[in-house]
Amino acid sequence: MRTRSHEPIVWSLFGAGGVFAALLGTMLVLIIGILVPMGLGFGPEAMHYDSLRGLFGHPLPALGLAVVISLFLFHGAHRIYHTLHDLGIPASKKMMLACYGSAAAGSGVALLLAGMLVVF
Amino acid sequence: MSQTRTIMIECLRYDPEQDQAPHYRTYEVPFTDEMSVLEGLQYIKDHLDGSLTFRWSCRMAICGSCGCMVNHQPILSCQSFLRDYYPARIRVEPLEHFPIVKDLVIDQSDFLGKLESVTPYLVPAQPLTPEDGPNLQTPRQIEDYLGYAQCINCLLCYAACPQYGLNHEFTGPAALALLARYNADSRDAGQKTRMAVVNAEEGVWGCTLVGLCSEVCPKHVDPARAINRNKINSTQDYFLRFLMPFGRGS
Amino acid sequence: MTPAPKTYVRPMNRWWMRHPAYRRYLLREGTSVMVAAYALFLLAGMVCLVLGETAFNLWRGFLQSPVSVIFHLAALAAFAFHAWTWFKVMPLTTPPIRFRGQPVPDRMIFRAALWAWGIASVALLVLAMRFL
Repeated sequence: MRTRSHEPIVWSLFGAGGVFAALLGTMLVLIIGILVPMGLGFGPEAMHYDSLRGLFGHPLPALGLAVVISLFLFHGAHRIYHTLHDLGIPASKKMMLACYGSAAAGSGVALLLAGMLVVF
Repeated sequence: MSQTRTIMIECLRYDPEQDQAPHYRTYEVPFTDEMSVLEGLQYIKDHLDGSLTFRWSCRMAICGSCGCMVNHQPILSCQSFLRDYYPARIRVEPLEHFPIVKDLVIDQSDFLGKLESVTPYLVPAQPLTPEDGPNLQTPRQIEDYLGYAQCINCLLCYAACPQYGLNHEFTGPAALALLARYNADSRDAGQKTRMAVVNAEEGVWGCTLVGLCSEVCPKHVDPARAINRNKINSTQDYFLRFLMPFGRGS
Repeated sequence: MTPAPKTYVRPMNRWWMRHPAYRRYLLREGTSVMVAAYALFLLAGMVCLVLGETAFNLWRGFLQSPVSVIFHLAALAAFAFHAWTWFKVMPLTTPPIRFRGQPVPDRMIFRAALWAWGIASVALLVLAMRFL
């Protein structure tokens, strides 16, 4: 009897992250890294401390940001894990733990920070 | 009558009784426009070097035995023409990722085992006898699997799949496409048996969607699609068994 | 019975040099490094936002630097290539879709995905201009 793979868990997270990254990633990077710093369409006050604390003081945007970060991390972890195997670094429990473990840890931190932004 | 030109064919040679490792030999082959790579190899065997070993049978892209690598591209040698490569020289090698038996002949027994593992035949819900009459299907029901049923087991997809090359446990493109072919057949009730193969690490989860298998398939079977659609099914099966413990779990 | 013949198995080293499709594949998978890096960059921003105004202004100030612009241009290319390739292979993963009895062709699914990409991007931009 063949053993069932647990890949569906990480594949689902990878897939969700891939969809978010594909739909929102380009514009997210464009806004934060190009449009806001260059003042294209955004005033000099955009993305300042007070306005962001105000925005992410609400649970929905804070949670949304944490979820996006978490799914990006799982998306990256999954592809990096498999690509390392492709490049000749054999897949192992250790490698799996390193890749998905970091993504899980990063997600935990993101959720914690989101909670702190809402509460404090 | 088309004119004769000369093309250089560089061919991998390996004699298990003489060689530790393969080497290459180059042959000057005169060819006409209508000559395939297979006919080029036959010219070598008939006129230049009778020891060159390769498989072929039908010469019309249906038997699936003349697959080889030309310039690192898996092709059927009967279906590829020397004129399309000329004036460049071509390098002919046996199908990638398989053990070489001699020259261009590979050992496909690993694939045959995998093919067997996917239950590649109809499993009726109840045993049928001739008295039950024909097992009818609508055109639409045939359409559901006809594409996947075109496979000729030529193994070009395995030669295109680096995941199979890196890990021979992986069931691989053609076998998983045939698995999808029988699962999609309205006369079949063997999905549950095959799901264990789908769900395994060496089942659909060995695939990372490189996608070259579908591009090289001479019969447009599209194994990449068959496998990746079954990733969705496997994921559903994985999570739904917690919701329906007495239902579809395997 | 005669013993099985001695066979030769070719090594897989530098297999990606054998076909351009393999290099495109690795490039596609490589975008994930940028996706993960960008997640960490956003996470750093979150940490700074929690730490307070001084810390956050450091992160915000970094956005103005040439290093940040180069990083973001690289990230932009990676996310765009990711999106394009993601939508391209999407029809392979989606269950068969039929419209009026006819299977929907892959290029229609790809086109619909490109539209979704555009709409999501514009929506995000509008939201950002309203709330940032």
